[in-house]
Amino acid sequence: MVERSPHSVRYAELQAATNFSFLQGASHPWELVVGADALGIAAIGICDRNSLAGVVRAWIAQRDLPDTGEKIRALTGCRLDFADGTPSLLVYPSDREAYGRLTRLLTVGQRRAKKAACELTWADFLDHAEGQLTLVAPPERLDEAFEASLRRISGELRGDVWLAAARRYGPRDLQRLSRLASLAETNGAPMVATNDVLYHGPERRALQDVLTCIRETCTIQEAGLRLQANAERHLKSPTEMARLFARFPGAVERSVEIAERVGFDLGQLRYEYPDEPVPPGKTAIQHLRDLAWAGADWRYPQGVPEKVRKLVTYELDLIEKLDYPNYFLTVHDIVRHARDELKILCQGRGSAANSCVCYCLGVTAVDPTKEDQDLLFSRFISENRGEPPDIDVDFEHERREEVMQYVYGRYGRDRAAIVATVIHYRPRMAIRQVGKALGLTEDITASLANTVWGSYGDGVPDAHIRQTGIDPDAPEIRRATTIAQQLLGFPRHLSQHVGGYVLTKRRLDETVPIGNAAMKDRTFIEWDKDDIEALQLMKVDVLALGMLTALKRSFDMLPPLEDGTVITDIAHIPQEDAAVYDMLCQADSVGVFQVESRAQMSMLPRLKPRKFYDLVVEVAIVRPGPIQGDMVHPYLRRRSGLEPVEFPAPSPKHGHKDELKTVLRKTYGVPLFQEQAMRLAITAAEFSDDEADGLRRSMATFRADGRLWTYREKFIEGMARRGYARDFAERCFKQIEGFGSYGFPESHAISFALLVYASAWVKRHHPDAFCASLLNSQPMGFYQPAQLVRDAKEHGVEVRPPDVQASDWDCTLEPADDPRTPYRALRLGLRQIKGFKEKEALEFMERRAAGLATVEDYVLRSGLSRRGLELLAEADAFRSLGLSRRDALWTVKGMADEVGAEKTAPLVARQAVKEAQVLLPFMSQPKEVAEDYRTTSLSLKAHPVSFFRQDLARMRVVPCAALKDLPDRRRVSVGGLVLVRQRPGTAKGVVFLTLEDETGIANVVCWKDAFEANRRLVMSAAFLVVHGQLQVAEGVIHLVAERFTDLSAKLSEMRDHEDAPGARPPPPHARMSSKLVRSRDFH
Amino acid sequence: MRAVRRLAAVSLEAARLGLHAGQKATDALALVPELVTAEAEPEADAAALTALADWCVRFSPAVAIDAPDGLFLDVTGVDHLWDGEAPMLSDFRRRLAANGLPFRCAIADTPGAAWALAHFAEDGTIAVPGEQAALLAPLPPAALRLATETWAQVERLGLRQVGQLMAIPRGPFARRFGRAALTRLDQALGREAEALTFRRPPNPWFARLAFAEPISAPEDMARVAFDVAARLCARLETEGQGARRFEVCFHRVDGQALPLAIGLSLPGRDPARIAKLFAPKLETVDPGFGIEVVTLAAQDVEPISGRQARLDHAREATVADGLAPLVDRLVNRLGEDRVWRAAPVESHVPELAAGRARPLAPASRTCPQARPWDAAAPRPTRLFRRPEPLEGVMALTPDDPPSQFRWRGQVHRVRRAEGPERIGEEWWKGGIDDVRTDHLRDYYRVEDEAGARFWLFRAGLYGDPAVPPKWWLHGLFG
Repeated sequence: MVERSPHSVRYAELQAATNFSFLQGASHPWELVVGADALGIAAIGICDRNSLAGVVRAWIAQRDLPDTGEKIRALTGCRLDFADGTPSLLVYPSDREAYGRLTRLLTVGQRRAKKAACELTWADFLDHAEGQLTLVAPPERLDEAFEASLRRISGELRGDVWLAAARRYGPRDLQRLSRLASLAETNGAPMVATNDVLYHGPERRALQDVLTCIRETCTIQEAGLRLQANAERHLKSPTEMARLFARFPGAVERSVEIAERVGFDLGQLRYEYPDEPVPPGKTAIQHLRDLAWAGADWRYPQGVPEKVRKLVTYELDLIEKLDYPNYFLTVHDIVRHARDELKILCQGRGSAANSCVCYCLGVTAVDPTKEDQDLLFSRFISENRGEPPDIDVDFEHERREEVMQYVYGRYGRDRAAIVATVIHYRPRMAIRQVGKALGLTEDITASLANTVWGSYGDGVPDAHIRQTGIDPDAPEIRRATTIAQQLLGFPRHLSQHVGGYVLTKRRLDETVPIGNAAMKDRTFIEWDKDDIEALQLMKVDVLALGMLTALKRSFDMLPPLEDGTVITDIAHIPQEDAAVYDMLCQADSVGVFQVESRAQMSMLPRLKPRKFYDLVVEVAIVRPGPIQGDMVHPYLRRRSGLEPVEFPAPSPKHGHKDELKTVLRKTYGVPLFQEQAMRLAITAAEFSDDEADGLRRSMATFRADGRLWTYREKFIEGMARRGYARDFAERCFKQIEGFGSYGFPESHAISFALLVYASAWVKRHHPDAFCASLLNSQPMGFYQPAQLVRDAKEHGVEVRPPDVQASDWDCTLEPADDPRTPYRALRLGLRQIKGFKEKEALEFMERRAAGLATVEDYVLRSGLSRRGLELLAEADAFRSLGLSRRDALWTVKGMADEVGAEKTAPLVARQAVKEAQVLLPFMSQPKEVAEDYRTTSLSLKAHPVSFFRQDLARMRVVPCAALKDLPDRRRVSVGGLVLVRQRPGTAKGVVFLTLEDETGIANVVCWKDAFEANRRLVMSAAFLVVHGQLQVAEGVIHLVAERFTDLSAKLSEMRDHEDAPGARPPPPHARMSSKLVRSRDFH
Repeated sequence: MRAVRRLAAVSLEAARLGLHAGQKATDALALVPELVTAEAEPEADAAALTALADWCVRFSPAVAIDAPDGLFLDVTGVDHLWDGEAPMLSDFRRRLAANGLPFRCAIADTPGAAWALAHFAEDGTIAVPGEQAALLAPLPPAALRLATETWAQVERLGLRQVGQLMAIPRGPFARRFGRAALTRLDQALGREAEALTFRRPPNPWFARLAFAEPISAPEDMARVAFDVAARLCARLETEGQGARRFEVCFHRVDGQALPLAIGLSLPGRDPARIAKLFAPKLETVDPGFGIEVVTLAAQDVEPISGRQARLDHAREATVADGLAPLVDRLVNRLGEDRVWRAAPVESHVPELAAGRARPLAPASRTCPQARPWDAAAPRPTRLFRRPEPLEGVMALTPDDPPSQFRWRGQVHRVRRAEGPERIGEEWWKGGIDDVRTDHLRDYYRVEDEAGARFWLFRAGLYGDPAVPPKWWLHGLFG
């Protein structure tokens, strides 16, 4: 921190725009606050254009500054730009009530305009002007219109109006200031000095110019006078301001007088919970107590255990003390309504799972009496931390909207709104827009942007740029990358959060401005969840989870358990079933929640989960944090007994040798969870609670403002000083960095592990229902329908194709033909047919139920549109009526009434036409399969690769299934369709491929060198043969790629497969390029 | 946000790497990072195709454009000039190949059949009259110029050859694939006529006068220049056009042609004015043994609204009849790049804030968005091309105006001053590492005791005692 310089003059900067004045301000709020503090400025007024989006961040920065006794104040203000020609005003509410009027004013303006705009008039302001300290910001040209406006403003406001004057080093500055001074004099609006700040230091001018270009969509060469002439719009010290305004006595001093009159601070927005209706004669806490104890009885029908009794009593007392009962009642009400009225599956996640009261209320599903689960309520609510509780609840993803509508209906739109998500500049977008602004060609910016993989990453490394054939040292490239680097992490726009609601007792628009979202009838507030948390407002997260939808759907198909229990909730599933763990240990987890990814699948056989807590670890360990912190291998070694379980200890003079044992006991001395890292900081590195909290906060916003490094030294030095191995300390901190915003706290991992277990149980015992419900909940998860179906077939489920007579819209279960199989047969639904509409399917199902028998019935009386019929025919859904794919298509096309009639309209007056029989060529099997893939993305007839098995055998390619019988290090080739391509950010330059043939799948690892040498092929091939070396370890088989052969052309051969003798394939230039299978690429 | 960029066309090499038209540019670049792309210029492509069509007139007057990349030539009754279709086609191929153009071609009875053969059969196929059905039969349905959606459907039914389509009865065929498809089939087989839109050669703005007796006297030449101009201008007027450039050509009896050209700053068609502009140049024309023909061509023809002849002589002269002729005379006398007008260019840097524009061109033509100079930011009437160094400058730090300076050996004591106006460097013109916040100029408007006004600036800021900032004089106020 810069030493504060002493100043004889005091000055408050009352006109500072942050980068939340999008594409105008060129500094983060915290940069302005910290910068102004260093200059010895008494107060900084944040006024973004018609927005309060940045004020909380400034307030947080101010709060977190060390208290030196003369700490800067961050004033909450706003620059109002008007649509009716009124000069811009800088407005500072003088108290809480005036602040409420300001937010209401902004809400009025934003609701009136489109998303991200605000339309205000002078009349609007007058309605909300009481208590606002108002500075008039003069326009460039001081014409008569401005004089008239100023007269009107000062006349109608009667006091508390000032005229803001800045010295921007423009032409005739002093003349302008003199004119302003005399205008101020005649209009009773005293002149006050500001610097109209756009950035904290002059070195941001280049970035600000580039922002101007992005805003004006022009290049820097074209921007001309739209740019600022100089770099003067930065923060200036009181002494400098006094010098600049030496001829205008009082102008600088006045700024401090105004600042001192601002009696409002965001800290005053202490949350007032919405009052929940309680039965007459009871208080909120009494009602909550009743509900909690009733819930305890429901959770423990055999009698509430002593442990629970104690926990509930303790928690309720604390809830009462901190005055949170209304909050719990609110969440309880939402969950109860969803579960009991709407019959929607839901489950709490996050730190709320630490609460026994939440468990009893049915909000969360983590049973605190389980061994291994000594949850700490203090992680959820802490008296010291003084933070409001944060409860996140997942709902079935397809039905979350109903819950959201309930929330709106219950609290009204003036008391409930969705919080914002700040969309930040990521490297690709930053380099692309900066490059464009600097006049680089599209090709160069695209190449530069393409060197960044993934949406995170820390800029564009020179080596990557060089690879694309661009010289990173060329001045124009260097300019672009340097400025793009500065732009990283800037807010770009506000978007609505997926489901975070803020609820208030008084009108919400008196706390924060509410604006329109892009989606119709949606509104969201200007602050994001971090802002809400910092201000201690209450938030409920109504989140969507696809797996809940799938589980709910599978429950509907399940037969009752042996004891007669009908499964309607996750809690009904039998616990700790050894068969489920057996299955997971085999990495047989396609479709299972969370543990179905490639990385998770290769972890399962190594971790060998045998009990519930193992699943908790499994979920948490395959995350960036533990991987970057290099904690995975030590954990696995210790777990399998290859390494002694030791707890790092400080030197004896600094503390008890077992101080970490309590923190790390459950994870064999290796920190895996977010809160373990926090506890490490407190216990081992002697962080204060506040510091640990700051560390946690900067972890969450690490990407955004990069302040995490300030904690680094304290953490590592703190541990090293106390006698810990420096290496251990560094790894711990690396892990904290890796957590970033993806860290998993233990309670969250437990909530997820519950779903892992539940979905694994359904898969193990009812693969038929499991597959059907997953297919009916698409898109979700990691795999495509083809893999889910294949997996079901491998587990003995008979799968039947979509059929016009048998299929519903959804996939259904039918009695199986084979009496020996324990499973029912899975009938694919019409939803598998690409392009087929749900609405049409449902109408069709109704008509079919009324009776359709012949082909003619289906064509003429099914209510299906021409397009719908064609889609069904092309998907081979008429076979049960005796029509081949081509015959069906020929028939439905021929039955059409009017050629060229609206394709999607149902054919009403349709009639059959008698016509001569046309003999169509018979379709070959490979072509059938290709058509199946084209229409439904999967084929039950054969696997595409099976047609090429002979070719592959000639190339000495082994089937994927044969890999498991081969020894480690064997050189081998496998071939298959490329299902998944992954290039995770944590694995430097490594690409993972998943291949599939008719026998199974193979996992391919492609190291950086092999990838770079075969980049095009690896990224584009649909059908690939990989030659390489086998790597077998702990039941995990990888093929390390060395060479590749692209067989993608074979697939198009399949589409053009000969079925009419004598036909010549079209010349290459006339062939349509299309892919039979589309891989899922993650990068 | 602009639309997704896609590849419009790929070279053979790129196609071999798996790239194809319609692919997203970003995908293509991810596959082939070293891919070189150029912006598609559909208009330029169309122009090139048009030019090729005009060139083809040497083979047949009836040429139709089949956008975006094809041409139809109706060679009915012209092939005998080459002794038949085969020699004609080979001459055609030879000439195209000599020009380095890649092509495929075919000759058939109908445009449809020729199109099909050129696209899908062996290059250079010539269909024997009446026997094209056999040649078309093995071609894929796409050869019938069907809509993409239609031929995909046709092929999906297993109908992969035109022959299979020909075998289907007309009723069922039309019901399934639409009447348009049937029309295409009929057109290819000659069962239905197809009208092509033939391109007629462009009509040049051209006039010609021939004389019974060769002329050579200068006054005769001036007169015929006027006559030929009057003839062309009459045509321009009837069509509401004017031209910016006229080229007269005197054809001597010995076969030599002597061209002269003049340009106008506004499109015009006044023969007297045009002749007047030619007049001073006529002396450079050596008539030799006499001139028998004079031609005049107009270029840069564009529409102008016809103006009524003036009825009211008292009206003020407009640019068109006052300044424009003067400018034209100056330009034609001095040369085009010597007559210009200062126009605003948007830049904060004073010496970059003015550019040269054509004297009478509307502002929109020179610099589309440039705003006029700001009257509130005074600039000297005379701005030095290079600022001149000042010496002995006395000024208070950090940024007070100078109280005294010496310029060209003379000391000026400042009586009044205004400033500074601070102008930063155009940082994007140098290396980003060289961008410094003290790279700036502080401009002052000062008046000395004699009342002379100067525009001077200090480059850089006071601060580093080792490198004191320098002072310069950049201009004088009138």
